[in-house]
Amino acid sequence: MELRLKKIFLPLYVGIFCIFLYLPIIILTMYSFNKGGFPAQWTGASFCWYYELFHSVEIWRAFQNSVTVAISSACLSVLLGLMLVYGAKKMRTKVSYFFYSNILVPDIAIAVGMLSLFSYFMIPLGVITLIIGHTLLGLGFTIPILKARLDELDHRLVEASLDLGASSWYTFRHVVMPFLYPAILVSTLLVMIVSFDDFVISFFCAGSSAQTLSLYVFTMIRSGISPTVNALSTIMLLISSFFVLAISLLQARLAAHDEKIS
Amino acid sequence: MFEEIKKLIKAETYFFLVTPAFIWQFAFLVLPLIFVLILSLSQGQGSQLVQSFTLNNFYEIIDLSHIRIILRSIMLASTTAIASLLIAYPIAYFLALYVKRFKFFFLFLLSIPFLINLLVQVYAWFFILEKNGVINHTLMFLGVIQKPLNFLNSYFAIYLVMFHVYLPFMIMPLYSSLEKIDTKLIEASYDLGASFRTTFWRIILPLSMPGVQAGFFLVYVVSFGEYVIPSLLGGMKLFFVGTLISEYFFIGKDWHLGAAFICLSCGMLFLSALAYYWLFNKITLQSKIMR
Repeated sequence: MELRLKKIFLPLYVGIFCIFLYLPIIILTMYSFNKGGFPAQWTGASFCWYYELFHSVEIWRAFQNSVTVAISSACLSVLLGLMLVYGAKKMRTKVSYFFYSNILVPDIAIAVGMLSLFSYFMIPLGVITLIIGHTLLGLGFTIPILKARLDELDHRLVEASLDLGASSWYTFRHVVMPFLYPAILVSTLLVMIVSFDDFVISFFCAGSSAQTLSLYVFTMIRSGISPTVNALSTIMLLISSFFVLAISLLQARLAAHDEKIS
Repeated sequence: MFEEIKKLIKAETYFFLVTPAFIWQFAFLVLPLIFVLILSLSQGQGSQLVQSFTLNNFYEIIDLSHIRIILRSIMLASTTAIASLLIAYPIAYFLALYVKRFKFFFLFLLSIPFLINLLVQVYAWFFILEKNGVINHTLMFLGVIQKPLNFLNSYFAIYLVMFHVYLPFMIMPLYSSLEKIDTKLIEASYDLGASFRTTFWRIILPLSMPGVQAGFFLVYVVSFGEYVIPSLLGGMKLFFVGTLISEYFFIGKDWHLGAAFICLSCGMLFLSALAYYWLFNKITLQSKIMR
């Protein structure tokens, strides 16, 4: 029973599952090269929709907004997360559990709460409010990752550095930071993807002035499909995959590195 | 003076390190949620508050149609969580305990859909479910049907895409808890003559229970408030909690009723999650007693 399960059923099952997971994405990518657009039959390969995409001013502006928000919220949440994790470690408390709620509370409740708070204090919606929201989302990802990595740090190293006369700032920079560095990179990339992909918080907190790529795709799907969405989606797919690849490679290298040490 | 401040900062460094993140968390998570609660208990226009507290919003919101929408969302979340748990478990099991050589590649393959833009994923399904999409084409080619079927704007489409989107959310925690299991325990169980079934029920499942719970509640809570999938695939007919909330805030413009609805639905979400938690604990206890 066990052998049959191992040899036939499970690989077959996983294979079917992978088709289910990837089929829509593959077809989307295929159709983005279709000359005739989406609902039509296949009429031959062409790059015309990509061409149109790169010449759309609106999409470039949305792309700019997305990138600005992704980079600044990633930097902010990693910085805040790093400070919290390092500080909380010394305080020997379990404060970091509090930040899991950023992932667990339904997005829409957070988004609506922020929207009503911003409008009560008459804070204009725009790129700034987007950064605030995405940083909050990002904290839920960075803090567990950074905390897990910091917990692995041998505390004797820090003590040795301090005993040898290094200041606490010097120790942080030359002992703790190099150890945390891969985790910092991973969480930066992760927050950037999360921010790039977030829709609900952007939908409520962007206002009418700042559009991001997610919002643009949403309005395009809603208002009748134009084939440029296919091209745009394919490009967004590529960006995400690239980030995932970078994260996985980093983590694999990290694991290999740790094995070598121990 | 300056020296004193410097000394103070140095003495309390850790306090100063921890504070900014907490301020962020309080100002932009806790405070907004409290604000929604206050909003639901007051009356006025938009985000305005009127000093007096009333329960009128709740009187207005608690009726059959709203309760039905909340129950529908609970149903959606439960089905998504349970089904994706059942579908995902064998995959996580396979990855954690059987795959040896290409583990890194498999993990990469699974984490792409996990992090692809939700809208892109939903949009990709249009190609398959549309009137002249892949399914209809295939079925007509095979001669099963004569006229294209309508898959969009139905519960079928919503549930299907929900599974597709939330499966990776289930696989990751399951995988990480299954990976931590000491394989010596499983081998010992076989050596002592236990069958695969017994080993699974008494060793593997109880040890992977933390992952099961984490994945279940993650998917359950997140899919309860799902907005994108129902609003794109359900047409304008099928309302869930998320879609109704956005209706209140963007179209109806009655934020106070919307806030009351959020409070009501979050309350029911919390109660149902507690019920599931209780159930899980009972199952875990049962499998321990069986020994």
